[in-house]
Amino acid sequence: MKELLKALAENDRDLEAPVAVEMRLRSAFRRKHARPRWPYFAMAAAAVLVLLVYLRPKPQTMEIAVVTPPVPTIRLARPVAKKVVHRKPAPREVVTEFYPLMEDPPPFERGELLRVSLPASVMRGVGLPVSEERLTEMVQADVLVGEEGLARAIRFVANRP
Amino acid sequence: MKSLQKVQPTDHELLLLMFSGDEDAFAVLYRRRQGPVYRFALQMTGNTVIAEDVTQEVFLALLSKTAKYDAARGSLASFLYGVARNLVLRRLEKTVEVEDSAGPEDILDDLTRRETIESVRRAVLSLPPVYREAIVLCDLQDTSYEDAAQVLDCPIGTVRSRLNRGRSMLAQKLAVRV
Repeated sequence: MKELLKALAENDRDLEAPVAVEMRLRSAFRRKHARPRWPYFAMAAAAVLVLLVYLRPKPQTMEIAVVTPPVPTIRLARPVAKKVVHRKPAPREVVTEFYPLMEDPPPFERGELLRVSLPASVMRGVGLPVSEERLTEMVQADVLVGEEGLARAIRFVANRP
Repeated sequence: MKSLQKVQPTDHELLLLMFSGDEDAFAVLYRRRQGPVYRFALQMTGNTVIAEDVTQEVFLALLSKTAKYDAARGSLASFLYGVARNLVLRRLEKTVEVEDSAGPEDILDDLTRRETIESVRRAVLSLPPVYREAIVLCDLQDTSYEDAAQVLDCPIGTVRSRLNRGRSMLAQKLAVRV
């Protein structure tokens, strides 16, 4: 019995999977490790985002000093009519839909929305119409950044009175 | 990868390179480990198409990390056998068991080596999967009992008893004294 099994093992010893299997696997490997082909606007948005993060002003520390309040002096005064301040209504924020910045993003779990200023040319990158003379104007945008640091989507913000 | 051509990197080293995107490392690892996986699947199923599919799926699972390899739990070879085994058993559930067409009188008539080998192959394929995998791993693939126990997810004693039972079933089928 052992001899027969040994003969079968010897017979099969050099059997291997066809080369086509390796080709298919290597192709799958390349697809898996292919760098995402980021469109130009995504690269630009990421670059600006990084700059903004590094260049944004750091919050200033405030020193609180204890000051003894002066003793109030009481004066009789004529009542003064209150000034009526006409405040302008806060501008209404209008946002576009989100435009994806990655072709085949990994699953999204957590992330944050960052408000940034970007050149209007980025809007054209996602297919929004922008006239030539306004391409260099700065526009506000919300960039959705995943916890892995990838900028996944962008939406543009406009303030309407 | 140039350095890999001079010294033989371990499976673990190749895996690390592979996961960092080194395709050559993946190719080296694949060429090193595909043969046993393919032969295991072939000897378990007797079907080259299934063996090919199983080999591909085993390495795809390794690539996609759907089956996570933990070096602390055993060798990569055992891990790959384990994944292959699951895939093979799934396929066997769908396919009709191989009829044992190798009767004793046929064996006596098989004079050429080739025919004998094919008779043994048919006899192995006709064993119930639980005995077949023990025979394939330990007798045909020359896997240690410890590794086989890990692959089959059972104690070593069970591997031994399945082997004994499988061999005696084979002996009956082949009408050859052990």
